[in-house]
Amino acid sequence: MNRALRRISIAVLVMFVLLLVNINYLQGFQAASLAAKPNNARAFEAQFAHQRGSIVTSDGVTIAESKPSSDVYKYLRSYTHGPEYAPVTGYDTLYSQTGVEAAENSLLAGNSSALTVRNVIDLLTGKQRKGADVTVTISSAAQNAAYSALAAGGKPGGVVALDPRTGAILALASYPSYDPNVLATHNGDQLIAADEALLRDPAQPLLNRAIVETSPPGSTFKIVTSAAYLTQNPSANTQTSVDSPAQLMLPQTTHVLTNNDGEACGNGGGQAPLITAFAQSCDTTFGKLGMDLGGQVLNAMAAKFGMNNPGLTIPLGVAKSNYVIPPSQALTAFSAIGQYNDTVTPLQEAMFAAAIANNGTLMKPFLVQQVTASDLSTVQTTSPQVLSQPVSPSAAQAIGQMMLAVVQQPDGTAAQFNAQAEGGLQIAGKTGTAQNGINNTGLDDAAFTAFAPYGNPSIAVGVIIRGGGYGAVAAAPIAVQVIKAYLAYLAHQGKQ
Amino acid sequence: MSSITARSPAVDPTGPLAPAVRGRRRTELLMLVFALGLVAFAFANVGYSLKGRLPSPMAEYLGVFAGLVLVAHLAVRRFAPFADPLLLPLAALLNGLGVAMTYRLAAQGNLLSVRMSPSATGIQLVYTAVGIGCLVAVLIVIREPRMLQRYTYTLGAIGLALIAVPALLPASISEVPGTGAKVQIRLSSFTVQPEEFAKLALAVSFAGYLVAKRDVLALAGRRVLGIDLPRARDLGPIVAIWVASLLLLVFESDVGTSALFMGLFVAMLYIATSRTSWLLLGFVMFVAGAFAASKAFSHVGERFDIWLHPFAGQNPSHNAYQLVQGLYGMASGGLLGKGLGGGQPYITPLVQSDLVFTAFGEELGLAGLMAILLVYGLIVQRGLRSAMSVKDPFSKLLAGGLSFMLALQVFVIVGGVSRLIPLTGITTPFLSQGGSSLAASWILIALLVRASDTARRPPPRPIQEEGVTQVVTLP
Repeated sequence: MNRALRRISIAVLVMFVLLLVNINYLQGFQAASLAAKPNNARAFEAQFAHQRGSIVTSDGVTIAESKPSSDVYKYLRSYTHGPEYAPVTGYDTLYSQTGVEAAENSLLAGNSSALTVRNVIDLLTGKQRKGADVTVTISSAAQNAAYSALAAGGKPGGVVALDPRTGAILALASYPSYDPNVLATHNGDQLIAADEALLRDPAQPLLNRAIVETSPPGSTFKIVTSAAYLTQNPSANTQTSVDSPAQLMLPQTTHVLTNNDGEACGNGGGQAPLITAFAQSCDTTFGKLGMDLGGQVLNAMAAKFGMNNPGLTIPLGVAKSNYVIPPSQALTAFSAIGQYNDTVTPLQEAMFAAAIANNGTLMKPFLVQQVTASDLSTVQTTSPQVLSQPVSPSAAQAIGQMMLAVVQQPDGTAAQFNAQAEGGLQIAGKTGTAQNGINNTGLDDAAFTAFAPYGNPSIAVGVIIRGGGYGAVAAAPIAVQVIKAYLAYLAHQGKQ
Repeated sequence: MSSITARSPAVDPTGPLAPAVRGRRRTELLMLVFALGLVAFAFANVGYSLKGRLPSPMAEYLGVFAGLVLVAHLAVRRFAPFADPLLLPLAALLNGLGVAMTYRLAAQGNLLSVRMSPSATGIQLVYTAVGIGCLVAVLIVIREPRMLQRYTYTLGAIGLALIAVPALLPASISEVPGTGAKVQIRLSSFTVQPEEFAKLALAVSFAGYLVAKRDVLALAGRRVLGIDLPRARDLGPIVAIWVASLLLLVFESDVGTSALFMGLFVAMLYIATSRTSWLLLGFVMFVAGAFAASKAFSHVGERFDIWLHPFAGQNPSHNAYQLVQGLYGMASGGLLGKGLGGGQPYITPLVQSDLVFTAFGEELGLAGLMAILLVYGLIVQRGLRSAMSVKDPFSKLLAGGLSFMLALQVFVIVGGVSRLIPLTGITTPFLSQGGSSLAASWILIALLVRASDTARRPPPRPIQEEGVTQVVTLP
């Protein structure tokens, strides 16, 4: 019988080995995926057991933090200047996150694998675990100017400001906005009620218009058309004479394209220097250029400026800005002046100016500057990355001069913001007024893209105001306020 | 006392066998102190974790538990002086951890699906006293394992009756609330799970029956595919047990116990006959029966669905809720656990009984679970070792069968909660809250202690040094 007993012993050994292997697999390898299951109450509550990290602007303003709370969980998320920064922070509710709260969730919560070693040290030293702090690239001066200007205008829209040299996002504002504090409640019923109210609101406060909503760029797209023209014709410059008729016959249609005021650009002789046509925003000129260049060439240039890219993240997801290759010459003319199916985000508007300001090199926009663990050590830093090179430095210089002319020439579309009016500050920009709605019955969308100071650009801004009317009237003043606020902040920094 | 235990009067210390016959009772005492230390540490851990100080009744709980363990130790010294020195300390450690976990769960008892009152710890200690009382009684009454051989058929009848009773009683008395399993007898607030004792009675009965019939059962019949099948006429007993275990499956909804009985019988049949064909036959019969039952009866089929697809569709929030919560608990424990009192085991339904292993997994982590499994493994190993060294076939078969049954029970419940096999509701020996399981586990330990004592006892001293006829003293 002992031989059988020995075999039974081996069977028992196998049984125990199976159990040991299985619990090792379960607790060692499967633990993370089980913790990520949507209905895991333990993982759900664990996120409230530790203090979540703060979100701080690059100049040190705390815009989201977890404060000790006396209700069911130990910490309550709190957003100072909630509506102003909501497009950046997003919200952190019982059930979900958006914005930076979602994009950096594991680091803020402190359960990222990048923090494992620090958490073990905290455990051994008996220190309370705390999530990592996230520093965003936002400048509170620029953000405040952007949101205040949007709110003062009262029209829905978005503003994005970039540092053209790095791609760092200096402002990311959307209006109308919402207060994330009402969603941070620990009371599930209150949360659902607040969420439903926001979702039902016809003003769509939860929509992040700065990066998620797209609108027609209008004449700001002439930057892309000019870039394509200058790239295709290396001998051309800002003074090259281009066709500038009072009316542009659209092939295979009975339609004619006219300029905004119905008159010819330049001296009315049917020809005008490129810079004049750009400054006066002549639709016939750029419609003609577009037809000559063709949809394929415009499409390739639009893509180099960052359009048609569905995968852009900052790390928040950015809606795709669209250029659709038109099926006919007539529609190509419209697409070359930012109509037809062209749509862009305010971020894309800022990227137009940023690429020109940075000598034709487009930097990848980013929102998260640095992540700092609770022991103040740096977990990760974002280093600037080149996204593309849409135009050569010389072409960028030419377009820069043309954008300068838009603001500085007396007949430019945004001449009211010239250096004289702005205390010597030279702003370069491009206005856009996009027709909208069925048969263009809707209010025009106002767009403006600009960079400053002209000689040494440190900020590029994109603004889109839905139903704002003229770009120069509704969008440009907002951009100018953001630029001035940021440059004043830089000057103040420089003095210190 | 020490004069009796350290040197048994039957042994002449100057004789030639003297060095081999040490009782190892001091080792046992030392190991018991170690086990008590671990249990004390567990209690302190719970107190500091939940209240920031030592639990106020800790001294009483530990004092009572230490007293009970000491009684068990003294009983072993007196009545089984040559017993294996590890069996008692290992069992005491598990029992103590079970009491500590009961205290920990009862401290948040209002959060549990089946609530626990703060008095649960005291009740569990009373059950421990009953269990150790059973141990002492078994050691006193049964001086030789083979004494039990006389009651082969009596105990078989008792065992079958104990299994059948809950199935015949109305569900209001016999059903475990919320599980659908009819496995208990409720008398007002007090419940007994007769199957816990039935499996011991049947193990003894199987041993007696198989010792008597093993020569016949070992005869080979037809040879198929290189395997000698048993003769058809010898299939009676295994078919009877198979039918009984399937009836248990269908009428009491008790897959775990059904597997346990079938596994116990087949393993003992194999030990008795050394014929692999019995193992194969038993395994095939059980799997086929269980498969057929899973198709024919929805409550059995549901178990398989839960096992295979716990996260599919509505399963995680409905019928797989318990398993899934247990898995989440173990996963949240990770490698080192949250510390006793630091986790949320109360989320898992029935965590104090069927799923207590997941509570240990959550709070002691992988490290703690491996240690607990190794403690079980050591008990089984000591039991099988005693079975191998004991001389008479009945004791051999009984000790081997009981050891295997303990291993199988641990495998079924631990494998069940960790999703190695379908989860079936059986208790975790020594760790689950409840008296029947604890008492039955202590009886099992008592029988193993008795068998190991018999195995290690030195041969009787010859009265005459020479001569053909030897007169021996019977113990």
